[in-house]
Amino acid sequence: MASPPRIEVEKLSVEQLKALKEQTDLEVNLLQDSLTKIRSAATRLENASAALHDLSLRPKGKKMLVPLTASLYVPGTLDDSEKVLVDVGTGYFIEKTMTEGKEYCERKINLLKSNFDELVEMATKKKNIADEMGRLLQAKLRQSSPSPSS
Amino acid sequence: MAAAAASSSSSSAAATPQGVTERRGIPAASFVEDVETYLRQAGLDVNSGLAFLQERLQQYKIVEMKLLAQQRDLQAKIPDIEKCLDIVATLQAKKALGEALTADFELSEGIYSRAKIEDTDSVCLWLGANVMLEYSCDEANALLKKNLENAKASLEVLVADLQFLRDQQTITQVTIARVFNWDVHQRRSKQAIKET
Repeated sequence: MASPPRIEVEKLSVEQLKALKEQTDLEVNLLQDSLTKIRSAATRLENASAALHDLSLRPKGKKMLVPLTASLYVPGTLDDSEKVLVDVGTGYFIEKTMTEGKEYCERKINLLKSNFDELVEMATKKKNIADEMGRLLQAKLRQSSPSPSS
Repeated sequence: MAAAAASSSSSSAAATPQGVTERRGIPAASFVEDVETYLRQAGLDVNSGLAFLQERLQQYKIVEMKLLAQQRDLQAKIPDIEKCLDIVATLQAKKALGEALTADFELSEGIYSRAKIEDTDSVCLWLGANVMLEYSCDEANALLKKNLENAKASLEVLVADLQFLRDQQTITQVTIARVFNWDVHQRRSKQAIKET
């Protein structure tokens, strides 16, 4: 795979530098958004894993309040403490045992964490590039500003 | 342009009942028959008049945003109440048949587990503010129906209020345009007199 030609930033004009910095800043913001989403998804999965663990401590027939909607609860009992339904996305649900459910959550969490680490690294690089271009832009502006007076 | 503005105001006035001077504490924008008379009676010059009208328009917009947020809340709340009513009806039907109800409930986001509900004549309703109360099915049914009626009535009032607000904004915007145009006309007249 041919890599894109390296841009010699020192030779860019002020306008080109500004445009390039703006683009890089935009990319950094997008990466930050992605990181935030990954973090919240990982949190949800950790909550799910904790809930599964808590459920595995309850035997079948355990009395509980069943949340049938967000605001309506009915006294009932656990009917199956060995199996859970897992929403795997795009409208599909898979019945899994408790152990498989936990493994699923852990696998997803690990996947998200590796993605998170990759994105952190990428965001850091982009941020450094943006900062460097900012400094270069300042230097160029300082060079060009004495011209009108002289 | 003045004729078009006048007809626009007339159509707006038709939408709102005549003589409505305020609604939930929001003052109505008075229709201006004659700009010069309006400014003289209010004791305002053109800039003060425009500033006052702009401020009033901004206030209308702020109130509109608040009401729109309330409307969104109600529109989300009504289906939830209807769902609760359906569930209460289902529970009562199952009880009449003597069957147990088996349901999958959400254990966590994306994880569901199974529960059995046998021969229960009570439900717990989350009322908000960290309060949950237990009701019999009949009581819950009555309460939910009352809540649903109240929510729907509130929504109707909100819709009417929002319509009123839009009318006031339209009237105010038209008045701003007319004051501005009147000022331009005045300046041109003075200029013409000066050049004569």
